[in-house]
Amino acid sequence: MTTGSVSPPPHHEDQDLIDRIIGDQVGRPGALLGILEKLQDRNRNKYLPMETLEYVAARTGVPQSQVYAVATFFALFNLDPQGTHTVAICRGTACHTRGSRALLERVKLQLGLREASDDADKLTLTTPDRRLTIRTVACFGQCALAPVVEIDHAIRGHVKEQALMREVDALRKESAR
Amino acid sequence: MTDKVKVRIDGEVIAATAGQTILEVARAHDKYIPALCYMEGLSAVGACRLCMVEVSGVARLLPACTTPVQEGLAVATTSPQIQSYRKMVIELLLVERNHVCAVCVSSGHCELQTLAQDHGVTHVRYPYNYPRLSVDTTHPRYVLDHNRCVLCSRCVRTCAEIEGAHVWDIAGRGIHSRLVSELQRPWGEATSCTSCGKCVQACPTGAMAEKGWGVEEMTKQRAGVSRLTSMREGQ
Repeated sequence: MTTGSVSPPPHHEDQDLIDRIIGDQVGRPGALLGILEKLQDRNRNKYLPMETLEYVAARTGVPQSQVYAVATFFALFNLDPQGTHTVAICRGTACHTRGSRALLERVKLQLGLREASDDADKLTLTTPDRRLTIRTVACFGQCALAPVVEIDHAIRGHVKEQALMREVDALRKESAR
Repeated sequence: MTDKVKVRIDGEVIAATAGQTILEVARAHDKYIPALCYMEGLSAVGACRLCMVEVSGVARLLPACTTPVQEGLAVATTSPQIQSYRKMVIELLLVERNHVCAVCVSSGHCELQTLAQDHGVTHVRYPYNYPRLSVDTTHPRYVLDHNRCVLCSRCVRTCAEIEGAHVWDIAGRGIHSRLVSELQRPWGEATSCTSCGKCVQACPTGAMAEKGWGVEEMTKQRAGVSRLTSMREGQ
């Protein structure tokens, strides 16, 4: 509900930006998706904090539960802070038969990451230092290149365990500097 | 929208109004079509797939709750294929959550239980999911048990369309879908909730119940919720 005072988002310097993004889109059908997408893109850690969702609901008049439903329905939206670099491992059928599970397990082992529960809808794991995020993708549509791994939006095909490890180590060292 | 159309339901010719759905016409003429997510007075979403019917000239089954009637439409509300289909839907609903009638406040007054009995579902052919789910007891008067939720979204629509508060929605997708209040806040802390209890009355199972009732004791006043919409019409 929009009653009462609207609590500002956590970072006051971001408020102008958030207000502008909402102002540009509000009133258009399906505006909520565009607003959430832009807000996540502008976020330092590429995610939608709860405070932001609350603020969006209050400013747009969309019920909080609906904002939350949209933010959790689309795999695109993150509700947790993301790492500086993203490694997305394809878990589609073609990549699975070419050993993408082994790639995923190897990376998880290397980074010491474990799934919080098997119940998670999508797998998104971030290292505690927020340098790397490992996630799975249903299919990149590049099945001829299986197994496929996307590193910071660049597709790599025919990925071998050792090559992937080298890439991951390079990313960790790079962002450590 | 006062165009009269003639439709045939199970062979009987029935006069209906254009714009009505197959389910509305059938129910008005005492033809039984089962449904779980449909409730009079709420918008139809076609989510439960129990009201599937055969329409002549259409190869696939259509949901009666969202299919409008047309002149000359011929509908079969039951057939061996439909029956086996409905039975499967009920079995899959039972498998998805932890439905334990023996300890449920709504046992004996539960729409899912009644449907299972009516369709002769004595056992299920699929392995149970046994998901680990929580029970929200934070509201002073009501309780939400996710184990018994069938995601029919009647509470969501009752709250949004009749009460106008829109406390509820369904978060996540597929098998991970969950009913949430506001930003997944405990029900008791949801400031937009007016504690009117209409969601509880609309719930077909024991997922939402009033506190203080024992096993088999919670009866619900669904007609009262539906009546609110019909009383408001024409205002």
